[in-house]
Amino acid sequence: MSQTERLTDIGPPKYDKYLPPIVKKNYGTWLYHEILKPGVMVHMAESGDKLYTVRCGTPRLLSIYSIRDFCDVADKYCGGHLRFTSRHNVEFLLTDESKIEPLIADVKKLGFPVGGVGNAISSIVHTQGWVHCHSAATDASGVVKNVMDALCDKFESMELPGKLRIALACCLNMCGAVHCSDIAILGIHRRPPKTNHSILNNICEIPTVVAACPTAAIRPARIDGKESVEVDEERCMFCANCFTVCPAMTLNDPLNDGVSIWVGGKVSNARHEPMFSKLAVPYIENNPPYWPEVVETVVKIVDVWAANARKFERMGEWIERIGWPRFFEMTGIEFEKYHIDDFKYAGLSYKRSAHLRF
Amino acid sequence: MSEELTVEQVADAMFKMVKDAMGQKKLKPMDLQKAMIEYYGADKCDKKMCKAAIKSLIDSERCVYTYFGGSFIEIPHREGAAND
Amino acid sequence: MADGQTNGKTPKLDKLDKGPWPSFVKEIKRAAEKNPMSKDLLGQLELSYEDKIGHWKHGGIVGVLGYGGGVIGRYSDVPEKFPNVAHFHTIRVNMPAGWFYTSDALRTLCDIWEKHGSGLTNMHGSTGDIVFLGTRTEQLEPIFSELTKEGFDLGGSGSDVRTPSACVGPARCEWACYDTLKLCYDLTMEYQDELHRPAFPYKFKFKCSGCPNDCVASVARSDMSIIGTWKDDIQVDQAAVKEYEDKGLNIQRDVCGNCPSKCMDWDGKTLEIDNRLCVRCMHCINAMPKALRPGKERGACLLLGSKAPIVEGAQLSSVLVPFMKMEPPYQELKDLCEKIWDLWCEEGKARERVGEFIQRVGLGNFLEAIEVEPSPYMIAHPRDNPYIFYEDYFEEGDEEDEDEDGDE
Repeated sequence: MSQTERLTDIGPPKYDKYLPPIVKKNYGTWLYHEILKPGVMVHMAESGDKLYTVRCGTPRLLSIYSIRDFCDVADKYCGGHLRFTSRHNVEFLLTDESKIEPLIADVKKLGFPVGGVGNAISSIVHTQGWVHCHSAATDASGVVKNVMDALCDKFESMELPGKLRIALACCLNMCGAVHCSDIAILGIHRRPPKTNHSILNNICEIPTVVAACPTAAIRPARIDGKESVEVDEERCMFCANCFTVCPAMTLNDPLNDGVSIWVGGKVSNARHEPMFSKLAVPYIENNPPYWPEVVETVVKIVDVWAANARKFERMGEWIERIGWPRFFEMTGIEFEKYHIDDFKYAGLSYKRSAHLRF
Repeated sequence: MSEELTVEQVADAMFKMVKDAMGQKKLKPMDLQKAMIEYYGADKCDKKMCKAAIKSLIDSERCVYTYFGGSFIEIPHREGAAND
Repeated sequence: MADGQTNGKTPKLDKLDKGPWPSFVKEIKRAAEKNPMSKDLLGQLELSYEDKIGHWKHGGIVGVLGYGGGVIGRYSDVPEKFPNVAHFHTIRVNMPAGWFYTSDALRTLCDIWEKHGSGLTNMHGSTGDIVFLGTRTEQLEPIFSELTKEGFDLGGSGSDVRTPSACVGPARCEWACYDTLKLCYDLTMEYQDELHRPAFPYKFKFKCSGCPNDCVASVARSDMSIIGTWKDDIQVDQAAVKEYEDKGLNIQRDVCGNCPSKCMDWDGKTLEIDNRLCVRCMHCINAMPKALRPGKERGACLLLGSKAPIVEGAQLSSVLVPFMKMEPPYQELKDLCEKIWDLWCEEGKARERVGEFIQRVGLGNFLEAIEVEPSPYMIAHPRDNPYIFYEDYFEEGDEEDEDEDGDE
C-alpha cells in the first residue's frame, strides 16, 4: 500500500468543469440554431452571442495521436475546447466565424470528414467486433469503414430526405443497442454451441449454464464420464447467452457467422413514435476485408429510400407509407420464411387486415 | 446471542458461505444479504450492515467481484481464460 | 518484439487504410509504430480477417481493488503468436457529462494511456464511457491511481448502475427542457457506490435526454429513460414562421402534414396549434427552430425498462411518470429509483433487467409494489384480452361486511 490515500468514488469531472466560457455564459439561454452548411451550425443565445459548431466524423477507434491532433486543432481555433457527440463525432466549438473555414481545412487535412448535421447520415454507432470482443460474429470497425466509405458523401452533404442513422452490433448482445436504427447491421451466429465437455464443469457452474438458456434447450448431462451439458439444437436460437455465462459453450464459427440487416427503426419522437428495426436480410456471409455484399445491400436500401421518401421521412416512416411488399419489391431483397417472426407474441407482426396495396 | 452483531461477524459468515458454494454456485451480493438477514434476523442484521460486510470482504481482498454475464462475489482465483 | 504469425504483414487490413472515411486501421497502425500491444493487435486482427473469427477470450475477474466494475478482462486465444496482447483488458473511464473536454484534460488522459496501455481508445463506448482499449493486469492499479489523481474515475460494468449519460442539453441546445448535464452528474455522484459495487440482478442504465428528440437514445438504451418535455403551449413567433415559408419551406405540407396529432394548421399568415392535442413530438419545432420553442412549464417524462434483446427480447422503455419537474436535489426521482431497485433486487432473477422483470410480474403488480398509481398515460391502450387476474371475489353472505368503511 502506498503512503498516500487511495482515492475511490470521486466520480467524473464536474459537468461544468470543461465547458467553454461562451457556453458557461449562455448556459440554458440558447434561442435557436441554424445549419450554415454541412457539418456547421450556429447557435444563437439570448445575449446575442453566437456559438459555431463544426462536426467531424471519426472511426470511434482512435489512437491517442489522433486525439492529440484534435487537441491541437482545438487549441488553435477554439481556446482548447471540444466535445464528442453520442455518435462518436467530434465537435469543435468556435466563437469566431472567420475561423470556421481554416479549421475545416485543417481537420480535412488530418483525414476527418466534416458533416453529419441535418438531413444527412451521421457516424455509425458500433461495437468492438474482432478488435476486442469475445463473442463477435463479425468485425465491427471493418464493416463500418466499408459502409461509410460508400456513404461518406451523404455524411458531407444534406441531400437526404431525412436523418439516416445506421448502427452496427457484432452480436445479439447488442452493446450498441442497434435495434432502433434506420438501418441496423447485426452480427449473427447460426451454429448451436460447441460444448467443450472436458473443461465445462471446471470453469462453469452447470445450473447457471442450464438457467441461462431462454428456450430451455440446455440440459445437464454426463458426457464421456464428465459432468457437462447437452444442447437440444432444434431449440437453439443462437443468442449466445450460454457463452456469456460459460466460455466452454462456443458460438463463434467462421463457417456460419455473418451479418443480418434490419431497417426502419428510430428513437426520436419526431413525427412517428420510436420504432424497432425490422428484419430486411436474414444472413450475409462474412467477406472481409470489404464485405461487398453488405455494403451493396445497405447502399441499395439507402438509395431507394432517398429517391422515394418525402421530406423529413425516416426509413421506417417511408416503409410504413408504402408497405412492406413494396419495400421488398423496390429494394429487390428476397422475402423468405425467416422474415416471419416465430418468437414470443409473433402473431402481433402478422398482417391482420385487408389493407393491402397492389 | 445478546451481544451486538458486528459487521466483521457478518463478513465472516458471508465468507464461509461463498467458500462453501465455490464451484457449485456463484453467489450475488443479494444472495448473501438475504441469507444473512434470514440467519441473524432482521432486527440484528439489515441491508446496511450487509453492504458494509461485503465492502469489508472486497476491500480486504478475501473476496473479489467476478463478472460472467452479471456480477458475483467469489474467492480470489486464477481465471480460466488468463494467459500467463 | 515478436510480430506474430503474420510477420508484420497485414495485407487484408492494409486495404482498409485508404478510402474517404477515416480508418481504424490507420489508427491502430499509428499506435503500433511505438506500442508493441497495438502492433500485436494489428497482427491478431489480420488473423481474424483471414480466418473470419475473433480471437479473444472473456475475462471475468480482473479489476481494481474494491470495485466490481469499470474493467473488462480480455485475453488473446493465440497468445503464443501475439504475446503482447496475451492480456488486453478494457478500462471504462467515466466521461464528463455531455462529453465536453479541454485539450488539457484529453492530453492528460492520452499521457496516462500512452504510459500504461495500448494507446488505443474508443471515443466513446456505447454507454458513453471513455474506453481505454487494451492493457495488462498489473497496469490496472497504476492507471486507476493516476486517473483518480487527475480527477477521473472508472465507469460501470457488470450488474451495477452503468455510467449515466446525457445529451448536450442546456450547454448548447435551445430545446433542453431540463438540465441534463447537471442531473447526469448528480445521479452519477449520488450513486457512486451502486456504480462501483455491483449489487443488482443485472445492469441498470440512466440516460438523460433534454427533449423528445432523444439524442442519447434513452428510450431504447436505458432502463431509466429521462426525456425532457413540457406541459404548456408551444411558444410561437408568427413572424418567424412566415420567414420560413418565405425561404421556401412548405409549412402546410411538410410541417402540419407531418404532425402526428394533426393539431396544427397554417393559413399562410398564422400557425394555429391546438396544444391540448399536441403529443410533443418535436417535429414542427425541429423544422422551424427559430419560430417555435417548447413551452415554459418544463420537466421530464420518465420511461422505464428498455434493453437490447438478451435475454427475453428487446424492449423500449414505457411511461412510468408522464411529467416530473427536474430540479435539484431530484429527490422524487431518486426515491422512485430506490423503490424500484429495492423491489427488483429482492425479486429479480440473475441477468433479469428491470424491463424483463416488469414483463414477468406485470406492470400493474409492479406499480402496486413501488406504490405508483396506475394511469392511462402508461399504456398505448387498455388490455384487449379478457384474461384478468382478479384478486378478490365475493362469497355468499359477504354483503354484510361490505360497509366496512362505515358509510351508515
